[in-house]
Amino acid sequence: MSTDTLAAPVAERLTPAVRRRRGDISWRRVAFGLLGLLITALVWELVAALKHDPVILPSVQSTASTFWDYLSQKYPAQGKTLGQHALVSAARILAGWGAGVVIGVALGGVMASVRIVRYLLDPLIEITRPLPPLAFIPLFIVWFGIGETPKFALILIGVVPVMIIATVAALDAVPTELVQASRSLGASAFWSLLTVRLRSALPSIITGMRLAMGGAWTSIVAVELIAATSGLGYVINNAGVNLQTPLVISGILAISVLGILFDGALRLLHRATDPTAR
Amino acid sequence: MTTMPQLDTRPAVEIVGVRKQFAGRSRRSPGRLALDGFDLTVKQGEFLCLLGPSGCGKSTLLNMLAGFTQPDGGQVLTDGTPVDGPGPDRGVLFQTPMLFPWLTTLGNVLYGPRARHELSADARRRALDLLETVGLSDARDAYPHELSGGMRHRAAFARVLVNKPRLLLMDEPFGALDAITRVAMQKFLLELWQRERITIVFVTHDVEEAALLGDRVCVMTGSPGRTQAVIDVDLPRPRSIETTETLEFVTLKRQIREALDNEH
Ligand SMILES: Nc1ncnc2c1ncn2[C@@H]1O[C@H](COP(=O)(O)OP(=O)(O)OP(=O)(O)O)[C@@H](O)[C@H]1O
Ligand SMILES: [Mg+2]
Repeated sequence: MSTDTLAAPVAERLTPAVRRRRGDISWRRVAFGLLGLLITALVWELVAALKHDPVILPSVQSTASTFWDYLSQKYPAQGKTLGQHALVSAARILAGWGAGVVIGVALGGVMASVRIVRYLLDPLIEITRPLPPLAFIPLFIVWFGIGETPKFALILIGVVPVMIIATVAALDAVPTELVQASRSLGASAFWSLLTVRLRSALPSIITGMRLAMGGAWTSIVAVELIAATSGLGYVINNAGVNLQTPLVISGILAISVLGILFDGALRLLHRATDPTAR
Repeated sequence: MTTMPQLDTRPAVEIVGVRKQFAGRSRRSPGRLALDGFDLTVKQGEFLCLLGPSGCGKSTLLNMLAGFTQPDGGQVLTDGTPVDGPGPDRGVLFQTPMLFPWLTTLGNVLYGPRARHELSADARRRALDLLETVGLSDARDAYPHELSGGMRHRAAFARVLVNKPRLLLMDEPFGALDAITRVAMQKFLLELWQRERITIVFVTHDVEEAALLGDRVCVMTGSPGRTQAVIDVDLPRPRSIETTETLEFVTLKRQIREALDNEH
């Protein structure tokens, strides 16, 4: 085909696309966000000064210095540093959540493609979905003891249904015509499944992964509060029993930092897979 | 793609006695007969418009030609061979452009060659040429959501044409466009067809569009869908929007409309 333009009139009328960066940081937004944090810290400091009781509410500085100290100092004495406890919790999260995501996406993929499997699993998911995973803690301790297995199982039971539902919904939402388009462009059924059906569902699946991550944190902290000798939940519980409020708050802050890191990574992944979100 | 010499003597499309029934909602309710004993022949290089009321089976017919669905009876042949599943020899343009939103314009155009593992330097050059032809050179790195409605349609065109289809199947492709863009796209399509001489089966609701574009207009009635009339359009080519103001055009439109109203 020659290179002269058939659509010249059309091209003249419609302005050429200019790609805009929508990810530009708005400085106003950042400034006000920081201001909000600052005000919270000030109110906290004020209340702490008025209460004058470090067990009920330690000052901002004492909390910050506790946080800093325990990053290198072991708690309890023969235990791990705050950083190491955080790593233990993070590892549990990643193992349980990672396995849950793989299982959930696989099961969801099969359910979205094979009707019989969907009929088979739908009621099971409907029954388990409304249950808070925490209700299973005693059962899992009876079954699996207090090692890593019950913690893994607990995260799994929270993550898998969320991922199945997200995957099935995402795959169901892929327009048939999009798959048909790829097939009539010469894609084999398998190639089309891979590069269109799954690809099209990917951003929504990643959103499901973010939701599941939130649930996984709830589960792991809860089970660490009750049955663990390491992890941030254990630190928080143990420090609370010993009235070391600054360390309790430090543990909470550590969870927040890890949560933001993990969610940030997933948000980046989402942005990378969905051009419309950029 | 190599074409055998005798290929051109065969009709591009042959639909013989096609029947298509959709299952009813429940086991007891009767199935819905969308098409029954439908015949249609389209010559090589012909521009055929399928016109008919909503629900008369136009999309069903096109889906069978594309290979998305199978007929329950009768035969659907393209270039003399029965249709067996979708393929790049039959380019499909839907009512909405159905671009892949995660690929750039160029990525969309190159999807076909990539899927068939034929992504050569030649295919790449061809894709760039086609983007030039459809006036999207500047938008080749843009994503579909950054394009206007008309630009998306032209990108979909390029994505199909890069596979050198012998047949274009278009299901109300301009139905969702505003009047101005629609006229521009019709002009674009006519010029493209004049140049490439691909066979086109074009589904539309619009009498004027059918008369302006087609060599023949197949007027259908439902249901089950059958041919009410096949009307030859003897207007001179090349046609443009001015053609619609001539007396012959108005007469032709009336003829088509009468065939449409003439159900039963
Ligand atoms: N998947 C389906 N299941 C059941 N019935 C269907 C299905 N697809 C189409 N039909 C029926 O078949 C008939 C023809 O449908 P079709 O979509 O081909 O009509 P159409 O001529 O393209 O209409 P329109 O102009 O509104 O697009 C309709 O009566 C419709 O209800
Ligand atoms: Mg239709």
